[in-house]
Amino acid sequence: MDWQRYRRHYPAAAAAAIVILLWLSLFPVRETEFVLVTQFGRPLYTVTEAGLHAKWFFQSATYFDRRLRIYNPRPSEFLTRDKKNLVIESYVAWRIQDPKRFVETVGDAVAAEMRLHDIVWSGLAAALGAHELESLVSVQPDAARAQRMLDDLTAATDRTALASYGIHVADVRIKRLNLPEQNKQSVYARMRAERERIARQYRAEGEEQALRIRAEADRQREEILSAAYKEAEKIKGEGDAESTRLYSQAYARNPRFYKLLRTLESYKKIFDDKTTAILSSDSELLKILMRGEAGVP
Amino acid sequence: MNRHGWNAKRIALAALALWLLTSVYIVPADQQAVETRFGRVVSPRVPPGIHLSMPWPIDRVHKLKVQQLQRLAVGGEISDGVLGRTEPLRAQFLTGDQNIIFLRAVVQYSVGVPAEYLFQSQDVAAVVGAAVESEMAHHIAQRSVDAVLTTEKAAIQEEVRAAAQKVLNDQRVGVLLASVNIEAAAPPPEAADAFRDVAGARADSARIVSEAQGYANDVIPKARGEAERLLEEARAYKLRKINEAYGDAARFLQVAAEYERAAQVNGRRLYVETMEQILPKIKKLLVDRNGNLDLTIVRK
Repeated sequence: MDWQRYRRHYPAAAAAAIVILLWLSLFPVRETEFVLVTQFGRPLYTVTEAGLHAKWFFQSATYFDRRLRIYNPRPSEFLTRDKKNLVIESYVAWRIQDPKRFVETVGDAVAAEMRLHDIVWSGLAAALGAHELESLVSVQPDAARAQRMLDDLTAATDRTALASYGIHVADVRIKRLNLPEQNKQSVYARMRAERERIARQYRAEGEEQALRIRAEADRQREEILSAAYKEAEKIKGEGDAESTRLYSQAYARNPRFYKLLRTLESYKKIFDDKTTAILSSDSELLKILMRGEAGVP
Repeated sequence: MNRHGWNAKRIALAALALWLLTSVYIVPADQQAVETRFGRVVSPRVPPGIHLSMPWPIDRVHKLKVQQLQRLAVGGEISDGVLGRTEPLRAQFLTGDQNIIFLRAVVQYSVGVPAEYLFQSQDVAAVVGAAVESEMAHHIAQRSVDAVLTTEKAAIQEEVRAAAQKVLNDQRVGVLLASVNIEAAAPPPEAADAFRDVAGARADSARIVSEAQGYANDVIPKARGEAERLLEEARAYKLRKINEAYGDAARFLQVAAEYERAAQVNGRRLYVETMEQILPKIKKLLVDRNGNLDLTIVRK
């Protein structure tokens, strides 16, 4: 070999060697990733900070997705403390926190989800076993209690998962509560019965209100009419009193004439065509008829 | 050789210029951008406009349509549950009074924090859907079926939105929930007729109440009119009575004054006049003081 012949290529070769070395030692870490640096397969340290990082060219970098993932375990049936069955569908929001531990214990997401399933299942079973159905499903809910149950479950799951698998569990939450399929017919029957009761109640309440309105209207009518009657009779009485006063005032001026007039007036009313009068020829009227001129009193 | 070198230089310069051009970028008006350097976020929120960065591959620019609303359905198609089709459980929720209802909601969300939206979760839609669904289940499990179906729908929507937003903030998903809208809520078909009957009963009740109100609205004004009539009649009666009395008294006094001038004659005249009026109408028996009573007329 004639090394001299290639001397003028030395700088280019050196530059290429440096680029390759840099290429092997520098590595970018994105926000979505953790990098585990390994040396001949042995994990050394974890890079959690995003940006450009350096390692020895003989070490290698393994990338892990650090983003939040959602895992939906299959719905399962649980028993509450008051022995009621509930079908619960939960979800777990988790992310890789400790890649070293993660790669040593589970390795990939599918395996991780299997482990999470077991932890969450037993956690849910324990939590529900300690609570009555009422604390989850109730119209007068103890919301704080249900929240505390989930918070405790999340915290416990997180502790276990982090220590065992390097997984951070951000949330374990109940996505759906349901009654078991075999209970549903009886639930529907109960719902129907409840509705029928409510319908009857609505109708009866309407009836009640309508009756009350009618009775109230009738009362008001009586009140108005009787008050008007009272007032009207009073006014009539005033008229009667005033007219009586006027009559007596006038008649008192000449009681004798009044007596005569009034008596004659009453005769007109007393006698009608059904009356038979037996008249003595001595009577004032007939004296003249009987005796002529001599009858004039 | 020389000429060839010159060409190579020109190509290299052009390449350099092109490379430097990758450091200039434009963010459109409806977008925001996140700038990363070797993967690390250096500018978490770049507003619209023209901007400079380090050239590729040092800096990367991720643009996001932050204002665009994205839709996501929670629950299932009501008809699936009704017809027993695919996944009837998806739409099924349990209310606080242990009724089963079918429900479908639509979530609308937009990007809140671009850097979190881009880098914090694998599948933003899945995270949002799970959070909203769990809050929905939670809040429906605290309400009666009537509240869910009628009165408290709006309250539930807002509560679910606020609670899910809090969960998503804690998980740093970088999403802004615009609305959670319950699009459809229905009782299960097995009990639907009973639910309809309740609505019917409510209408019946309203109808008979309004009929009663109609009755009241009819009766009371009539009574008021009747009362007014009674009063007017009484006032008329009073006036008539007094006027008549005045008239009668005046007439009496005038006649009495005349009568007094010749009481004997006038008295007799009045008596006879009255008899003239009365006697034609009545049956008469004349009896002479000395004669016998002739009863033939009576018999007849």
